[in-house]
Amino acid sequence: MVVVLEAEVRERPKSAPTEGDTASRRTERKEPRSPVRWALLGVLFVVMVVPVYLLVVNAFKSQQDILDNPFSIPLSGLTFEHMSAAVSSPQFNVIGGYGFTLILVVVVDVLCILLAGPAAYAIARSLKRRTQLVLLYFLAGTFIPGAAVIIPVIYVLREVGLANTVTGLVAHDVASTLPVSIFLFVGFIRTIPVDIDHAATIDGAGRYRTFWSIIFPLMRPAVVTVLILNSIGIWNDFVSPQILLSPSSGHYTVTTAIYAGISQYSTDLTKVFPNLLLAVAPVVIFFIYMQRHIISGLTVGAVKG
Amino acid sequence: MVELAELSAGPKQRGRRGARLRDSAITLGMMGPAVLLYTVMTVVPVGVAVYLSLTDWDGFSTAAFTGLDNYKHLFDDPSSTDAWYVTGLIAVAGTVCMVGLGLVYALALKGRSRTNSFFRAVAYFPHVISALILGYLWAAILGTNGAVNNTLAKFGIEPLGFLFDEKFALISLIAVIVWAGFGFNVVLFVAALQTVPAELLEAAAIDGASKRQINLRIVIPMIAPVVTVATVLNLVGLIRAYDIVVSLTGGGPAGSTQTFTYLILARSFEGTNVGYATAQAVFLMVVSAVLALLVTALRNRQDQAAAGQ
Repeated sequence: MVVVLEAEVRERPKSAPTEGDTASRRTERKEPRSPVRWALLGVLFVVMVVPVYLLVVNAFKSQQDILDNPFSIPLSGLTFEHMSAAVSSPQFNVIGGYGFTLILVVVVDVLCILLAGPAAYAIARSLKRRTQLVLLYFLAGTFIPGAAVIIPVIYVLREVGLANTVTGLVAHDVASTLPVSIFLFVGFIRTIPVDIDHAATIDGAGRYRTFWSIIFPLMRPAVVTVLILNSIGIWNDFVSPQILLSPSSGHYTVTTAIYAGISQYSTDLTKVFPNLLLAVAPVVIFFIYMQRHIISGLTVGAVKG
Repeated sequence: MVELAELSAGPKQRGRRGARLRDSAITLGMMGPAVLLYTVMTVVPVGVAVYLSLTDWDGFSTAAFTGLDNYKHLFDDPSSTDAWYVTGLIAVAGTVCMVGLGLVYALALKGRSRTNSFFRAVAYFPHVISALILGYLWAAILGTNGAVNNTLAKFGIEPLGFLFDEKFALISLIAVIVWAGFGFNVVLFVAALQTVPAELLEAAAIDGASKRQINLRIVIPMIAPVVTVATVLNLVGLIRAYDIVVSLTGGGPAGSTQTFTYLILARSFEGTNVGYATAQAVFLMVVSAVLALLVTALRNRQDQAAAGQ
């Protein structure tokens, strides 16, 4: 209860009137007493957290222990054997997948900002109707179900000589991030006063210079949103890397490595749980640290995009 | 493109033709790379899909033009109509459950306290994890050797075919999808609930309205526009369900959980009739576009309503 009140006070702006504080304290006090509410929250906690608990605990148990007592923590029977086997597995390597996926995420993020930033700036600062049509042209991309039209993408990549290459995958991924990124950037740039641009022009800055040195630094909230949205999207993407990079390319992302491994050994739970834990851990840790940014970023991206 | 650049010159030129042209060139230079990449990698494939859907292309040999045959086939091919039934059921049942649970938990967690934001994160976290991985996790829990069946076995209950029995598999799939997705709605609805003015609720309470009456008659109608947007977002997302099907059920048993996207990709890789598979993809795209346009229309109406207040 004390914790709740402290948080309540901390989240409130300092200038808030004191009546507001007492009023909200009164409603706060009422809520935790409701047994229905606590029953709901108890069910929520159990249903959401038990699968994660099973994932973590069973990653360190033998097959027999997992089958006999999936929920228990056998203090003497815990083993790192399967986890270390998963870490060093030569067949499908989730840890190796981290490296490739991370590089993919960074490259796509950087290219997306480099392309979407200036494009959004040009669109946001133009008064011509025709330029606004360009924005609609990009927005139409959000209607396209990516997985369903992946086969024609192979067709196009084959024509331009990028079939089954990392470059081809990067080109496809960057293109898929552009519509929402440009849309969010345009919306944000329009809230920045044009006078700032004029001042920069008077000081002799060209339009690229004005954008990268003056406007772009002001776009930090929008850039953070776009980076989170794209990074999580690319990290979790399965269809594009699976289909645009065949196993013969030798490159695996975390999801395609998991697919290659688990679909083969789905009955061997000592392979399933450690590999899944390895795949989930970075995202969950990232989520715990960046929770507030991630939740607001993903929500804004989905609703406005 | 040149025409477009001329028209989109920056706002500050004073009739000097040279300056205006230079400015147009810069605008074009700024938009060009993004427009080009997006066109080649996103728009052209859609055009290719429409073209291939009118042929009998098998992935290798030259394609023969077959007109609208593939589209006629869409409605009399049982595997295609079955996939639509499965996809539609997932989309509708999943959306109803996700919106319902989203509302219940948003009302329980709307207050700005640390406890509430903790529980919101608990509801939300699957949204950041790949659907493929969530599917494998639940497959390991619900499978024949999974935690649930092992626990049931201790009480002498025969293992249930959550994923291997045609009666249960689709229900299990929908349940996992709802588990993974309703937290997003909770966060969305909480954000909307926090904008409902407190004075309104106090006034209703003073007038003797019960908590349930306040929720049903005042709070939910006030956030109705957000609920509508969430509904359509959920529908659009769920008719594209693929990753979680691959990892949880693999479309089985006996094709009883094959969604439309699953069917399209499975059929493309059999390589027998890619043309037909792309016709299905184009059809799915049209359905998504109609639903997505609906979001835009609803959002505009919502913005206008907000502006009119």
